[in-house]
Amino acid sequence: MIKQYVESAKKGAVDLLEQAHKALEETQKINKEYRYSAAFADPVAQAEKLQQQAKDGKAKGRLFGVFVSVKDNICVKGIESTASSAILKGYKPVFNATAVQKCIDEGAIILCKTVQDEFGFGGFSVNTGKGIEKPLNPIDRKRTCGGSSGGAAGLTKKATFPHLALAESTGGSIANPASFCGVAGLTPTYSRVSRYGLIDYANSLDKIGTMALNVNDAALLLEIISGHDPKDSTCSQLPVPSMADVPGVISGLRIGIVKEAFNEQMDNNVRKTILEAVYKLEQIGARRIELSLPLSMNYGLSSYYTLAMTEASTNLAKYCGLRYGASEQLSGTYNEYFSRVRTSQLGDEAKRRILLGTFARMAGHRDAFYTKAAQVRTKIIQEYHMAFKNVDVLITPTMPLVAPTFEELKQLTPLQHYMMDILTVPANLAGLPHISLPCGESNKLPIGIMITANHFQEQKMLQVSNALH
Amino acid sequence: MDITPEIVKKVAENARLKLKEEEIKKFAQEMKDILSNFEKLNEVDTKDVPPSFHPVPIKNTSRPDEKGECLTTQEALSLSPHTSGNYFKGPKTL
Amino acid sequence: MHFTENVIIGLEIHVQLNTQTKLFCSCPTNASEPNTAICPTCLGHPGSKPVLNEKALEFAAKLALALGCTIAPTVTFSRKTYFYPDLPKNFQTTQYEVPLGSNGAIVLDNGKVIHIQRVHVEEDPGALIHEAASVLIDYNRSGIPLCEIVTAPDMNSPAEAREFLKKLLNILGYLGVYDVNNGVVKADANISIKERNYTRVELKNITGFKEIERALQYEIERQKQNEVKLETRGWNAEKGVSIFMRSKETEEDYGYIVEPDLPVFEISSEWVRSVQQSIPELAEQRAARWIKDLSVDKDDARIIAANLDVAVLFETIAKQCEPIFSARWVRREVLRILNDERKELKETAFESSSLIKLFKLILEKKITDRIGQRIIEQLATKKFLPAAYVKENNLAMVADEGALKNACKNAIKNNPKAVEDYKKGEEKSLMFLIGQVMRATKGTAAPNVVKELLKGLLK
Repeated sequence: MIKQYVESAKKGAVDLLEQAHKALEETQKINKEYRYSAAFADPVAQAEKLQQQAKDGKAKGRLFGVFVSVKDNICVKGIESTASSAILKGYKPVFNATAVQKCIDEGAIILCKTVQDEFGFGGFSVNTGKGIEKPLNPIDRKRTCGGSSGGAAGLTKKATFPHLALAESTGGSIANPASFCGVAGLTPTYSRVSRYGLIDYANSLDKIGTMALNVNDAALLLEIISGHDPKDSTCSQLPVPSMADVPGVISGLRIGIVKEAFNEQMDNNVRKTILEAVYKLEQIGARRIELSLPLSMNYGLSSYYTLAMTEASTNLAKYCGLRYGASEQLSGTYNEYFSRVRTSQLGDEAKRRILLGTFARMAGHRDAFYTKAAQVRTKIIQEYHMAFKNVDVLITPTMPLVAPTFEELKQLTPLQHYMMDILTVPANLAGLPHISLPCGESNKLPIGIMITANHFQEQKMLQVSNALH
Repeated sequence: MDITPEIVKKVAENARLKLKEEEIKKFAQEMKDILSNFEKLNEVDTKDVPPSFHPVPIKNTSRPDEKGECLTTQEALSLSPHTSGNYFKGPKTL
Repeated sequence: MHFTENVIIGLEIHVQLNTQTKLFCSCPTNASEPNTAICPTCLGHPGSKPVLNEKALEFAAKLALALGCTIAPTVTFSRKTYFYPDLPKNFQTTQYEVPLGSNGAIVLDNGKVIHIQRVHVEEDPGALIHEAASVLIDYNRSGIPLCEIVTAPDMNSPAEAREFLKKLLNILGYLGVYDVNNGVVKADANISIKERNYTRVELKNITGFKEIERALQYEIERQKQNEVKLETRGWNAEKGVSIFMRSKETEEDYGYIVEPDLPVFEISSEWVRSVQQSIPELAEQRAARWIKDLSVDKDDARIIAANLDVAVLFETIAKQCEPIFSARWVRREVLRILNDERKELKETAFESSSLIKLFKLILEKKITDRIGQRIIEQLATKKFLPAAYVKENNLAMVADEGALKNACKNAIKNNPKAVEDYKKGEEKSLMFLIGQVMRATKGTAAPNVVKELLKGLLK
């Protein structure tokens, strides 16, 4: 779909200015009801420039005229980027994230930032920062969008104009909301996409990824934003494989069904729907192999949260009311001032994770928590690598349930919140690429199927996704 | 693992967070809950297992010692109201 | 650790490496106007990322190798988290787990070995100007590469600490990894004394080897006179006192983690070898070479080699002038003048070509030593050709017996007491008479000829 639109736009067959006005209006209207958008860029001004290029016959780029929304933790130059935290209110980066720049270089129009859990701390976008309204599920406003890329997923579902979303996942924050909102969400291998310009949650776990109404469009965007970036020391130098239009050839492909992901704790409908989808794949030539990932499924959450929180607690140390973002009147000593700003501007979940993360790396318990979690991570990655010797992809439901209501969520303890990410976290801990695709419904609420491949094997998971259509 | 309010206070101080008494109590209980879950990691035998601080091996990225572009003083200072002349301004340290 | 000495001192030294750009970004390291060498990375802007300056690692490795350290095969960076306005991310990226270099040493002149436990790389924070109710912050310095050198508590006196630091500065000068003119070397000292049960105090912010002796002397006295607690104190050079900063109990828990924005650095033995090869001959080796190959006097060699500029000057001269003589004169005259005037070589007018010409005049006995000394004093401040100067001022050595005989006769006539003493057996009096002749001839008389003439006349 995006491809055809881009071709037309480049030829001058699309009135980009009109498109921009419409897209802006629609997004603002959606926003009034669903609260997906944070700061807006200037799509009309950008469209004007592109329109001129098309007139001059100079239109180029694989995203020419496409509207791209950007999760609020990804920096857009000159546009307020806050990661949905009150402490970054007013922060207008002086640079574009590399992923954003790549979109602009391909002729995209940056539309708006999208709302998220503060700094990525959450799986339901209910932990938005102080003063920021939480986004509502596009199908049922009494329910969560999922998180932390809730705004991105919701907008992707609702927008009727050519729209792609840049999102981000640390523990499953692309797959989770994609699943709850019924859109395609792609999370690449860790280090595939440059993190330059990504406001850090956990540097060894954060990945920028994409969302769209269909897999191919999301894959195109992912291919565009992937690749080596000298500005990010952890960015991979491996060549980027072609990701758009990967043929859905499934014959002989080995699909691993993770036993632990289909136990009684999963919603029945969810379980059934995914297994049916797998059966369909078998019908067209896939081979189904059952396997067990005991380490990943039993210890992935603990290892993930320990590491994520320790890294996060250091990443958030810089927010202290100086140099950018929120500030207060300078009074008292520096410790008093820092404490005052941080305490008043950071949300509860942010505080909780800072406390846990700080504790886990303090001198007395660093080895027991931080180092131990990193060692368990090694074993979990080894377990996955062993599994991928026998299968090409792993399939599980994305979430153990469909989108809960806000009321249901209120009953959960923080720990129970964390446990909801049981299916997405292990793959994210291991840095494996994964896709969540819409796969059936339960009571009209979308179910997501999650396909995970080995490191740098994005093509394999795209093969299977495309075969599912 | 016991997380007392004193421990929470100490950690909060280290992280420059000022918590009210009720908050300290609440966080203490939640932290205890969550850390007990983290302690499950002790069930895994990690003898001689090297820690992974990245999920994929990443080595030796660096850059040559060549000057690049800087921000202007104005650009940098414009992001904050706490400035004085060409300096950033901060709360007193002594 | 089991201590027995009266005073125990360990040092932690921070050296700014003179790379062109900062440790993790490409801002220049030599800006003058405040907040002009800054970018999102060294300002810690959300979304910015660090990229290691390979030159900084090379310079630090060079220093570590020159200090005799072993280089680690794998190097990682860590985050040291604490809150201060000069720290843009409120954590410092440093090396904690495994330092770049370890197990080195510097040997003092008396043979005592001061062990170096670790040498590692880290970033400098910004600079603060303290005002009454606030601070002003300049982030130009933020991110400049620092090399930290940590010694074992092997020093037992302020003088030893001073010597250690002086030798370290000498090595730094030789290596070229440090800007001798503008670079800053800061030291923190850990010091404890026997009579206070070795309760350790950390003394921070001491700049230079002269201050280190002063600061440590003060602190030892203070510890003798007062109760000593485990604490951190700051050295105030202006007032000459140490001031309480914080107690060790309330010390920040830095909560170190591995820096996840940077990769692991694997260091190959080839790389280490090439860095080792780039290290110039250091003072000790240089002096040893002169002693062996040029037969230069041991002390002359050691003292000249300690000053890199003078060492280079000497080597140039020694190519054309007899080395033993040249070394003696460079040490006793050139270095003496530098020390007396408290000047660096480059602040004087000394240059090798005129010194070579001067030395040749002396060696060829065209002028006396005394005249040579006079001319060398002039060469410190003026550039001129020695031969022309000698001619203009009639300073050529007079060895003609006829010309000198009169001067000798006059000296004998005018100093009867000395003559009498000499005849009684006082050799000193002969020296005195020679001196009188030298004075009368304005130093141009050849002393050995004068001596023989006088002896002959006094028989």
